[in-house]
Amino acid sequence: MLSLGDDALAEDVRRAALERFRALPSGRERPGRYWRVDLDALTIDDLRIDSSSGSVEILCSDSRVRLGEAPRLGSTSAGASKFGALATAFANRFALVTVPAGVDVEAPIVVTYRADAGEAVFPFTHVHLERGARATIVERIDAGKNAFVCGIMEIVTEESSDVRVATYQNAADARILSTRAALPGKDSTLSISTADLGGSLVVGEIDVALLATGSDTRIASIFFPDGTQHVDLRSNIEHRVGEATSLTTVKSAATGRGQARYVGNIRIAAQAQKSAASLRDDALILSRNAHIDSVPALEIAANDVKAYHGATVGALDAETLFYMMSRGIARDAAERMVILGFFESAIEQFPEMLREEMREAVEAKVA
Amino acid sequence: MTRDHGLAVAGLHCEVDGKQILRGIDLAVEPGRVHALMGPNGSGKTTLALALAGHPHYTVTAGTATLDGADLLALSPDKRAKAGLFLSFQYPAAIPGVKVANFLYAARQAVRPGDLTPAKFRGLLLEKMDALGMDPSFLGRYINDGFSGGEKKRLEMLQMAVLAPRVAVLDETDSGLDVDALKHIGESIESLRASEAGKETGLLVITHYPRILRYVKPDVVHVMLDGRIVKTGEAELANRIEREGYDTVRAESGAVA
Repeated sequence: MLSLGDDALAEDVRRAALERFRALPSGRERPGRYWRVDLDALTIDDLRIDSSSGSVEILCSDSRVRLGEAPRLGSTSAGASKFGALATAFANRFALVTVPAGVDVEAPIVVTYRADAGEAVFPFTHVHLERGARATIVERIDAGKNAFVCGIMEIVTEESSDVRVATYQNAADARILSTRAALPGKDSTLSISTADLGGSLVVGEIDVALLATGSDTRIASIFFPDGTQHVDLRSNIEHRVGEATSLTTVKSAATGRGQARYVGNIRIAAQAQKSAASLRDDALILSRNAHIDSVPALEIAANDVKAYHGATVGALDAETLFYMMSRGIARDAAERMVILGFFESAIEQFPEMLREEMREAVEAKVA
Repeated sequence: MTRDHGLAVAGLHCEVDGKQILRGIDLAVEPGRVHALMGPNGSGKTTLALALAGHPHYTVTAGTATLDGADLLALSPDKRAKAGLFLSFQYPAAIPGVKVANFLYAARQAVRPGDLTPAKFRGLLLEKMDALGMDPSFLGRYINDGFSGGEKKRLEMLQMAVLAPRVAVLDETDSGLDVDALKHIGESIESLRASEAGKETGLLVITHYPRILRYVKPDVVHVMLDGRIVKTGEAELANRIEREGYDTVRAESGAVA
């Protein structure tokens, strides 16, 4: 039985969001050639959810951080998309984090959402950095078989702040839909890293709206479907003012019958002069039945910008493997090393506390 | 010297994409000795090196190749390395994300399982790097990723030193190096040969130009033309080629240009 909760979000906001969810197409209604999942057909009627389903745990050792406070809740575009609207309508677990002006939080703040097998959880993370604040946030999702996780993450930062947000999940066969939206402040630094290694169906959205000059945004995404996993990730970076930079790096691999699609959009508005935007997407196909569609797109209306995009999709390089084998390393060990190495530059953009676990999760897929 | 000591190649024929490149190579490289293999571009030198190492695109159609009596041609490339063969690549592959230290440890463990603890291995590595004039920061870099030509060749030499093979084939290790880098590589090969582990290594130095042979003195010089070794002699043969080029050897051998 579905119910609209009554805690951090007003009931009319939730009802409006549910209306939007029902009215909106997913935006992915034209599946790619190999894409077999119709996201518009995703049903929520069989979900078991009530206000007690799922859980959230927040670990923060710095008492200056204000938890449960979110003055700008709902100010990003996160609730506008189909699944962002669904997440807003049913949001039942909250992590509201405000880092006060000038506060530099040393240790990562770790937010863990959990859903047991068959359970649904609707996480709502809101991160707010005041002027000059600095922090690292790690969001983890632990979900059991057939769990349904539909969440929102909002990141709002003020002038000269510096925030690093990493999300990681290596869940069981769960459906995981995440909508993330950021509004970086003037002269701020924002890093968003996402790693999706688990889940039977993963739908991710990253929206960054650059409305203040001088900000520097870095996005790093990793995904690696194996078995029958599907991953559909889309990033949208809107340069609406000039003199801001964005750097997007996506590293993905697919094996078994794993399928993935990545759509990377960068739009630079006419007034956004002296923007710098770069998008790099590399995909490794490791089996005959695995597929990755990569669709990078740049739309540039300004005339004084630096913009780059590049994408590669390919198999493991035979010359590299031969070189490694000529040093005595057996083929399967060489393949594992190359695959891990392929992800390494992206893994290094994640907070230290996640890296070893990520390497192990990648290695487990190629063992 | 017997056939089951060192590298022995007999009647080796090899083709690439259906094209015959090697037309009967006979060659023996004994441990501790230096053989130079010289020849113009396209004579088949690199084909010989890659065929010996087991490159999948190179098909041996006839002949034999053994190392200390082991049939190399029956082995996969990694097993050839374990048998004691090393190839220094003319164009070594870059492996982003794989650190020099980790790669070398994996290679050493594969070739000589469990013979060194990680700490002892690190000691050995630093010692060899010092001998090659390499900064320890190399260990944290990714294999050949963004390396200069000289750095790549130096890393090949480091790998040779760490793996201490029975026979090493150096494929144009001198190519693309300026005079100083060449001198350094040449001297470091000599110092490796003087070391305990390197004393027993046989070298097959493949080169287009004789200049590296000023630093690595060959015991034997072979000249290769059109997929065959057409002349074998002492070190003086290299000097002659430097003076006269390959044309006189070609004329003497009656090989078709």
